[in-house]
Amino acid sequence: MVLNIGPQHPSTHGVLRLKVKTDGEIVSEITPIIGYLHRCFEKHCENLSYEQVIPYTDRCDYIASMNNNFGYVVAVEEMMGIEVPERVEFIRVIMAELNRIASHLLALGTYGLDIGAFTPFLYMFRDRERILDLLEMTCGARLLYNYMWVGGLSHDLPVGFVEAAYDFLDYFEPKVKEYNDLLTYNKIFIERTADIGVMPAEVAINYGVTGPNLRGSGVAWDLRKAEPYSVYDRFEFNIPVGQGIVGTVGDCWDRYWVRVQEMLESVKIVRQALQQMPSEGDVHAALPKKVRPPKGSIYKRTESPRGDLGYYIISTGKPVPYRVKMRSPAFTALSVLDEIARGWMISDVLAILGSLDIVLGEIDR
Amino acid sequence: MSRYLVNIWETVSTLIIGLGVTFKHMLHIRRGYVTLQYPEEKWPRPERKIGFDHNDYNVIRSRLHVDIDDCIGCMKCARACPVGCIHITTVKVPKGVDLGTTSNDTKKRLLVTRFDIDMSECMYCNLCTYPCPESCIYMTGGPNSGKHPIDYEFSEYDRSNLIYRFANISPEEVERITTPPAKPETEGVKA
Repeated sequence: MVLNIGPQHPSTHGVLRLKVKTDGEIVSEITPIIGYLHRCFEKHCENLSYEQVIPYTDRCDYIASMNNNFGYVVAVEEMMGIEVPERVEFIRVIMAELNRIASHLLALGTYGLDIGAFTPFLYMFRDRERILDLLEMTCGARLLYNYMWVGGLSHDLPVGFVEAAYDFLDYFEPKVKEYNDLLTYNKIFIERTADIGVMPAEVAINYGVTGPNLRGSGVAWDLRKAEPYSVYDRFEFNIPVGQGIVGTVGDCWDRYWVRVQEMLESVKIVRQALQQMPSEGDVHAALPKKVRPPKGSIYKRTESPRGDLGYYIISTGKPVPYRVKMRSPAFTALSVLDEIARGWMISDVLAILGSLDIVLGEIDR
Repeated sequence: MSRYLVNIWETVSTLIIGLGVTFKHMLHIRRGYVTLQYPEEKWPRPERKIGFDHNDYNVIRSRLHVDIDDCIGCMKCARACPVGCIHITTVKVPKGVDLGTTSNDTKKRLLVTRFDIDMSECMYCNLCTYPCPESCIYMTGGPNSGKHPIDYEFSEYDRSNLIYRFANISPEEVERITTPPAKPETEGVKA
């Protein structure tokens, strides 16, 4: 039997259609059909100046826009050889990590929702709201920030941000225990996720899966440690990897658990960044007059909440990029779905899909 | 058998732990703790100092506004817009016609006959506000909003109402200004 899931389905996290071939209730093949959210990001970029691309990168992974901005501006800066002031680097890291927490909160909350736990979703959204308030306070937008510029930031942190950020971190850390009580160690949740959709490390590597999904399979690969960009080499943090506490290494529960642990690591990074951040500094100091990278190309990757986010930019020396290619981590995560979901039941497919934490805006671009 | 009992025990105990969390919240419920009763209550409007200093810059992004009296028609905002939702038409005025000055004491050389912003196309990236030399285009809540109330409820029933027309100059007036005057007419243009 061929079963159609989506495009309008709450657990596809966007507009995704899955063509599921089933044998009874056992899934024998899954074909994801994508493109419903295609907005020609890469074609748009060929007609926009380098600064104007930034708001478009926001709209790729709309749940973690800061990280998308981050990857793009880091790539263009490396191309142009710009050294950004230290304060800018720290603010960027703070923003990216706060956004990572917000993104993971959404991923975990909706994952619970997919499986049938409604309460944790509300708790996580309550706390995500506070991060969004912090980001709104900083740049005026709640979701699509356009905050990072090539060579700097659109503006400095507002007065009182540092205190508000500390307040939030103090508030947030005990909340993680609440999530664990509510969802992580709940027996029903464990039964739905442990040993389900096991992704062995070789499969993950062969498919190019990165980010929490890869770490859930037990591979400690994090670009923030492996290839430190910006000022990530100055922070102390661990890379949480899946250990198979309740099941096998690389199952849905491990991928979920890695995200919970990563939020705590992000809290650590934000704390250190707030402490080390120089209190003075002009965030516009290194802004180039004209963003016009020299002829050549660059591939730069950064660690977004979903994994290894790469930008390949070709410049012909004009103010408009010749080509901007985005390597989306969610796309590779979706491509592995067929491999790991074969042989499971239909209801498990949704559990596996949710644990991969895909964002269709980034897959379709 | 023992596995069976352990499973039951784990299920019940974790459920009780989870219910304990919600129960604690039920005990500590306070009105207005999390939920905002929106139509009755509203988010407080940001009360920050408004100025061009970075610390004072208020950046809520709700709607674009143009102080058309200060606009010199340089088109920098229209060029910066990634989606091209700002449409400006300017007309050269003949010699001798004085269009007045902006609040930054810049002489206005072009007559702005059309300054339309289609807010239904706007992507709220705020890129247009930075290059403006007269800082006359801004999101409400921006640097000049001392002159305007900060608000965020701009929904309209008709999509055409989202095209904001800022240039309030009639074609007759444009005609009158741009025809070369017989005698030098220097009355300020109400633009």
